Amino acid sequence: MVFFALVGKLFLKLFVSLGKIILFIFLSFKYIFYPRFYFYLNIKYFLRILFSSIPIVALTAIFSGMVLALQSYTGFSRFAAETAIPKIVVITLTRELGPVLAGLMVAGRVGGAIAAEIATMRVTEQIDALKTLNTNFYNYLVTPKIITLVVAMPILVTFADIIGVYGGYLIGTLRLGFNETVYITNSIDFLSFNDYFSGIIKSIFFGLIISLMSCYNGLYTSNGSFGVGSATTNAVVSSSILILIFNYLLTELFF
Amino acid sequence: MEIQINNLNKSFDGKKVLKGIDLNLKPNMSNIILGKSGCGKSVLIKLIYKLIKQDSGIITYNSKEEVDINKFAMLFQYGALFDSLKVWENIAFQFINEKLKPISQLKEEVLDIMFNLGLDSENIDKYPSELSGGMKKRVALGRALFKKPDVIFLDEPTTGLDPLNGELINDLIVKVIKEKKITAITITHDIKSALKTGDQFYYLEDGIIEVSEKCENLLKTQNSKLNSFLKGQV
Repeated sequence: MVFFALVGKLFLKLFVSLGKIILFIFLSFKYIFYPRFYFYLNIKYFLRILFSSIPIVALTAIFSGMVLALQSYTGFSRFAAETAIPKIVVITLTRELGPVLAGLMVAGRVGGAIAAEIATMRVTEQIDALKTLNTNFYNYLVTPKIITLVVAMPILVTFADIIGVYGGYLIGTLRLGFNETVYITNSIDFLSFNDYFSGIIKSIFFGLIISLMSCYNGLYTSNGSFGVGSATTNAVVSSSILILIFNYLLTELFF
Repeated sequence: MEIQINNLNKSFDGKKVLKGIDLNLKPNMSNIILGKSGCGKSVLIKLIYKLIKQDSGIITYNSKEEVDINKFAMLFQYGALFDSLKVWENIAFQFINEKLKPISQLKEEVLDIMFNLGLDSENIDKYPSELSGGMKKRVALGRALFKKPDVIFLDEPTTGLDPLNGELINDLIVKVIKEKKITAITITHDIKSALKTGDQFYYLEDGIIEVSEKCENLLKTQNSKLNSFLKGQV
């Protein structure tokens, strides 16, 4: 009996959480189109997200591009296919590594910060204070972050693609002895719009995932400073896992 | 504004926090809700403010169930000031967002209210993290008063303050209630504060209103539960 009660409780808890998430997502989307709009917050968050993420995204992308070029060489040189390296680097980065690495970095850097900010506001009653000041917290806190991340992620991914390809170019030309013009021509000629486009679509989804998970975990926090820590961890972990799952699903779609 | 509460019930995760509360909060009076920590005081004022919904029971405001919550304001226990905004932005928050008045006029009005609360004008551009606990409470009181409410809710107004700052806040509350002629609903477990600022008190224990009396009779109570609460406090 105790076992069944426990299983029942667990399922009940699961469904309550699921219901909360669905309701939260529904309301978040509703208030994107429902006034009051805080355009100045969109600009403020956009600049903050962009400038705080660019250094880590750039670092991750350049080293990934460099490693990719080196590892591809190790494999491709075994069957004399070294000329494919620029193509492999550019395709892997635009279709996979650019969006996924940028997504994971932004989830850690920005998602964690958003969750911590909102969770702190929750435990210090600032969210309640917003309500008493006739301010809808979805409009004020959630939707600006969703809009900003959905707009900023494609820019960051484009940036990651360029920097990553440049990393591959550096290794290709300086370490592996590729001709500079040949490397660039090989990279650009082989790249199709769909490669870039699929990465951009992924980045939009990743922006949505990061903003929704971060705001949700921040809003539904409790237990004071311990809760703020848990909210931050949960936001980063859930965003990262969902990014990897959706990356697979979207890759299947664009395959 | 007269607030009438009938048979109000509220539970969280199956635990009954408020059990059939009946209250009549008189207009233009300072109503004090006393009780131990965790007895349901904060839940009660959040229900009256319509920040959360009751499970059952009726709350009427001047005999109507509907109310414009813009007529309410709240001073939160720890101020709940917005960390990323300056003092004047905190005080005029709602008016800035709703673009109700030009910024220059808002700043003038903020300075007026800061003066009335004994805050130096040089603090206007400071952030909450740069203020002392007492100053934060006064800024939070300023934010509550800025919208000229009919009813002000005060959640533990003296908590976390030293005796001097606690007295200062109590004096300000008395002054505000008398000058502005507004209804005040204060939740506290600070007996000194209740005696100084209140007209009528309600003692809440285990989700039930145990005593309802004038504040001047607070220390003469015969109620055993309230007496044991007072002994622990005074």
